[in-house]
Amino acid sequence: MTDELLVVRAQLGERAALAELLARWRTPVWTYVRRMLDADRADDVTQEIWLSVVRGLPRLKDPGRFAPWLFTIARRSVTDRLRGEYAQAGERSGVGEVVVEDPAEAMVDRAVLVSVLSALPVPEREILVLFYLEDLPVEVCADICRVPAGTVKSRLNRARRLLREHLEEKGYRP
Amino acid sequence: MTEEPRLTAQDMIEQLEPALSRRTRIRAVTALPAGVAGAVFVGTLWSSEPGPLPGRTHLAFALFTVFCLAWAVYGGWLLARRVALFATDQVIAAWIGLAASLATTTVVTVVAVQRGTGWGLALAAGSLFVAVALVLTVRAHARRAALLRRMRELTGGEER
Repeated sequence: MTDELLVVRAQLGERAALAELLARWRTPVWTYVRRMLDADRADDVTQEIWLSVVRGLPRLKDPGRFAPWLFTIARRSVTDRLRGEYAQAGERSGVGEVVVEDPAEAMVDRAVLVSVLSALPVPEREILVLFYLEDLPVEVCADICRVPAGTVKSRLNRARRLLREHLEEKGYRP
Repeated sequence: MTEEPRLTAQDMIEQLEPALSRRTRIRAVTALPAGVAGAVFVGTLWSSEPGPLPGRTHLAFALFTVFCLAWAVYGGWLLARRVALFATDQVIAAWIGLAASLATTTVVTVVAVQRGTGWGLALAAGSLFVAVALVLTVRAHARRAALLRRMRELTGGEER
């Protein structure tokens, strides 16, 4: 059964469809939150996200775009907890970063990625989690983060560079 | 990456119970129209009282009106912030609202006509409530019909 069908059924009021939707997206949402926050806050924030999802689901206009909507809510909850870190990152990040194909992409291994993610600034960490761990396309990441697709690409580019630096510091070589 | 969420799907559903609870939804859908209807009714009685009223009667009417409005605000707050009203719930809630609007309009108009004061205003205010309730009912039905249609499209007509 597709997500869209589950969402439509849940919007009609079927509790079983809502439970199935939650069971299906519980781990992806938690993974995103856990990669962005420490373990202590991850469970609370995940619960808060699902509460917002349940309350907002009747008003979701396009059931086919459930995943971007879900991660937009998740991002908003995470952003609220990381407001200070986002502000610092905003001051640091430069403008007009050039988008280039990055050979580091090939070496990105999920397990290694996870181990060094916490060292990255929040905007870059967020994009890496959405793009690599959640397998969301650039356009959807842009939609969730409310930035143009070009900014997502430049953040991905910068994230890969930072990631490569961190991996090299840890002695990892492609 | 061996970490897993600590809460199971069932745990999470249980923790979401306040937003999904049938009792809370019924309370919200009852409190809002009952509060508004009560406030309109008391307001009509108050405004159509013949002759000057003593201060204590004014106070009593004012307290009744505030009490009814407090219930209406509580119901509105529950609906806006606490509970999820899905498409089928919205249809039921809209019909309850329409029935309450019609009943209130009828009662306040009859009271105003019997007292011979302000029936035009009562009828106009009641008609406004009925019109709003009617629009909400039509919208709720349209929304539910659209969702049912989409469900049939997605399941190739297997579903009802």
